[in-house]
Parts: sequence; structure tokens; C-alpha cells
Amino acid sequence: MKQKVQQAVSPIFLRIEQLDEAKYGFLLVSPVFLVLSVLAFYPLVKTLYFSLQDDDLTGTHPIGEFVGLENYVQILSGDANAILSSPFFDLQAPFSSALIVTLLITVVSVAIGTVLGLGMAIILNKEFKGRRYARTIVILPWSIPIVIQGMMFFLLFQPSLSPFVEPLANLGVFSDNPLINSQDSTIIVILIDIWRKIPFIALIIMAGIASIDRNLYDVAEVAGATKWQQFRMITLPQIKPVLFIGMIFYTISSMKIYGIVEASAGCATVPTLTCLVVQTFRQQRWATASAIAFITALVIAVIIMVYIVRFRESTNE
Amino acid sequence: MSEQEYTGLTGRIVQYTIQNSADVYRLGFWVGLVSFIMITLFPFYWLLVLAVTPDNQLYQMGIVPENFNIGVFATVVQEYPLHHYIFNSILIATVTVIVCITLGSLAGYAFGRVDFPGKGPLLVLLLIISYFPGIAFLIPLFELLTGSLSILGTPTPDLYNTPWGMVFPFTMLSLPITIFILTTFYSQIPDGLEDAARVEGTTRLGALFRVIMPLSAPGVVTAAIIVFIGVYREFFFSFIMTDGSPENWAVLVYGILNFQQQHTQMYNMMAAASLIGIIPIAVLVIIAQEHIVRGLTAGGLKE
Repeated sequence: MKQKVQQAVSPIFLRIEQLDEAKYGFLLVSPVFLVLSVLAFYPLVKTLYFSLQDDDLTGTHPIGEFVGLENYVQILSGDANAILSSPFFDLQAPFSSALIVTLLITVVSVAIGTVLGLGMAIILNKEFKGRRYARTIVILPWSIPIVIQGMMFFLLFQPSLSPFVEPLANLGVFSDNPLINSQDSTIIVILIDIWRKIPFIALIIMAGIASIDRNLYDVAEVAGATKWQQFRMITLPQIKPVLFIGMIFYTISSMKIYGIVEASAGCATVPTLTCLVVQTFRQQRWATASAIAFITALVIAVIIMVYIVRFRESTNE
Repeated sequence: MSEQEYTGLTGRIVQYTIQNSADVYRLGFWVGLVSFIMITLFPFYWLLVLAVTPDNQLYQMGIVPENFNIGVFATVVQEYPLHHYIFNSILIATVTVIVCITLGSLAGYAFGRVDFPGKGPLLVLLLIISYFPGIAFLIPLFELLTGSLSILGTPTPDLYNTPWGMVFPFTMLSLPITIFILTTFYSQIPDGLEDAARVEGTTRLGALFRVIMPLSAPGVVTAAIIVFIGVYREFFFSFIMTDGSPENWAVLVYGILNFQQQHTQMYNMMAAASLIGIIPIAVLVIIAQEHIVRGLTAGGLKE
């Protein structure tokens, strides 16, 4: 039996042996791209196609006739708000409109999280006793299940349990039950997002700091530069590319925030863009859901463009 | 600067800071380190306090537990099949890891060591997938994996409530990072070793499996751990692709959420379940911290 298999397989091996470099490369990457065509590229194209159709709530299939950009126009102009569980964009009610809430969470979380991540990276990059343990501890928030990240803060802000809710309410920071108040819950979601992303961005920045040439610091030391000057003149410019990549990943991930919302305040209180897609999907409005999904991707693309332009400008100076 | 006189309390602090900058710097370092660790650990500590507080005392509790009810951890497993959800999570994560490493090794090898035209564009294509949010794939994938789509008259198999309904989306989400990590590791192996094996008459694929793969074992382990953690912590497709009962392969997401949605007042159970759900990841992080750090940076820094 084994021999038979070998006899059958050996011509294939021989053929592989005789392939030139380029064909061999294609052969090795083909399984991955075959799988990804079905599981990634086909769904992406089809989502785009769905977004150009009409919702069909009565037929056997939730997708109706071709309507072109109608869905996009309706969502962006606010005409679709009537069929959505929360408005897409409404300046009158900023904390209940999906685009504003999502952008707010992203901007605040990325700004604060990156600064704190930079601080953590600088601290954990120093040699000290127990650094290994410190690193192990700080990775935890990033690595635990998303549902538990949300659950932790759900329990931390339960008014009947938490010793913090009442003092915070007395100070006027939060209302008596922050988890049912959209504004308070948005702040809580931002807190969770910062708490879990600091280690992620810190690890990426640490890799950048580790690759800086130590001689630069020696020269600066001889020239009499203070630690702060060394940080501003050497560390910051040197880690700029890494910081920039880390911030892009951070931004993408915050723009699709969903799990921690569902597990803490709920989508009705903090309606992010992904919440909106899931809700319309569940209402069988597949075309509208697809259009919102693509608008989300477009918004992320615009933000990344802004990053790239700003990065180019700052390095060309 | 040093000629200037500093007066008053603020002035004296400023003067001290300038004269003893090394001390102040060290103080700042320790204050920073301790605050980061406390901020990190506080929510975990809060879960522990909640879990061990007997449920009739939950409403007047402080930050320190007064009574200990360790039995809650046994109750969560015995009365609610939390272990069943965790088992499902671990199994699905393991299958995804195997699929991703098998497919990803071949591609990672090609990207790291073989010269072929179109390599750059193909890598960009992988990056594009990781750029799109999960919702951009959701509806067609759901249609494809729940048997609502027919290809040439035969409907696709209905994978809703099966492990494969989650393994396929997870594979799609994890393949790009797997390939980025493996490409980095494969490209670091010196050419001489592979050439030596080839001169001795090993076939191309033989060299890949017998020389390159063993040498890049740390890379394979790193990729496997990153994918495992990624799948174990995933929320979106885990939430969509099952109805939430453990017999139907619901994963940890539902094991935790069910407490919130069905047993609304059992806060100590929620906390205990969350702590148990963290254990597999905590163990992994403790034994493989170096791998995780390396994997995250290798995957994250690949442009």
C-alpha cells in the first residue's frame, strides 16, 4: 500500500522539482489564495454588489432589484434613519448616532491610548528586576476574550454593586446608572478600549525603541543632552514610522468596535457602526446593512489617507 | 539658568528637580510602572472580589471581600455548562490554528524565500483583507455558510451551529497575520542551510519540511499562539454563527453573555465565569510571553 502511494505521488514530486522558481512560488501560494478567494474576496465583492440592490422584506431572498447608489444616498442624507434602530448621522443627538459615536470613540481612544502606550513602552524598555513579570501582566488586558473585557467593566459600573458609581455620580461625572445613559456609556466604552489597547500599541512601540542605534544616545550624553531632550530629539523621530503603523492598526480596530459594547452597555445605548450593521442584518435588510458596512470601510480608508498624508508631510520637513 | 534664584515652594521643587534630575527620573519611572500595573490588574481584582462574595452580601460590598465563597467556581461549572463552552472555544481555536499553519507555511515560505513575480501585490492583497472590518464579509459569508446559496443547483452545506461555521471565518481572519509572521521568520534562515540540503539530494519540498520548517519552529509556535489567542478572544463571528447553546457549538462568548441576558442578577456567577474563561489565556501568556511579544511586533510591523 505504502509503495503504491509512493509510486502514485513520485511523478507529482518530480514535476514540482522541475518547476522554475516563479512557478514554484505560485504553486506554494495558490492554496492560500484559493481559500481566500472563497472566504474573503468573493464576500467583499458580493457585499459591494448587495449594497447596490434594494431591500426585499417580503420575498424569499432579502435582496431586491438593482438601485445603484440609492442606499448610500439614503443613509448619508438621513432618509434611511427612519428604518434604522439608531440614526446614522444626526447632530441633534450625537450620542445616539452611529457615525458620531464611532468616530468619537476612535479619536479619543487612539489619542489617549497612544500617549499612555508610549509611556508604558518607555517604562518597560528599561532594564529592571522583574521586567519579565511586568510585561506578562500588562499583556493580559489585550489577550483576554473581548466578551470578558466588556463584562469586567459592566460589573465595574453596575450601580447596585460598584462602590464607584455613587461617588462619581455625586461628583457629577456620571449619572446614577451610567450603563443606561448613552453619554456615560460612550465614556465607559472608551475606557475599556484604552485599557485593552495600551499593551498592543506599547509592544509595537517597544520594538521600535529596541531598534534605535544606542550610539545616538551615547553621543547625546556626551553633548550634555537631558533625558527629555534625548527623548524629543532621538527617540521620538526614530520611532515615528513604527508609531504611525501602530496608530493605523489601533484606529482600524477601534472603528469596528462591537464586542465590548454588546457585553457592557449594549448596542441600544452605544450604537456603533458595527452595531448598526448587525441590527439591520437581523431585520433582513441585507442591502442596507451591506451599504453601511461599505461606508464604514470608506470612512476607515479616509482616516488612513489622512494619516499617510500627515506622515509624509512630517517626514519631508 | 543656574544663576536664577527660585523662591517659594514651587520654586524649591523646580530647583530640586533640576539638581537631582536622576532621582526624580527614577521616581517617575517607579510611579509610572506601579500605576500601569495597578490599572491593568484592578478589573481582574474586582472580578475576584465579586466572585468570592456570597450573593446575599453583594449589595453592600466594598473593595475588600469580607466573606469567601469559593464554591461559586464549582457552581458555575456544574450548574451551567461553562466548561462545555470553553471546550468548544479551545477545540475551534485549535482546528483554526492547524488549518492556518498548514496553508500559511507554504505561502510564508514562498513569500520569504522564493523569488516570483507579483510577490509585492499579493502581500498587499493580504493586507487589504486585514484592513476590512468583519462586517464587510458578514452577509455573503453567512449566506454561503448557512446553506442559503446554491452553486450549480446544489445548495451549500448548512454550517450554522457547527464548528466549521466559525472555523472558516476565523481562518479567513487569521491567515494574513499567520503569513506575515511566518514570512518574517522564514526569510531569516540563512540560504546556505537550504542549499546544503539540496546539494545532498533532498527534494525541494523535502528541504522545506525537513530543513526549513524545523529551523523555523519558533516562528511556527509564535504564529500558532497568536492565532489561538485571536480566535479564543474573537467576538463577532462567534456571536453570529451559533444560536448560543453549548450543544450547538456555542463558544465562550455565549458562556459569558448568557449569564448577563438570562440570569440577570447573578453577578458573582458572571465574575466567576469570566475568571475561569481567562485561565487558558492567562496560562498561555505566562508560558509564552516572549512569543506573543515577538509575534505581535513581527505581524504588526510588516508593511
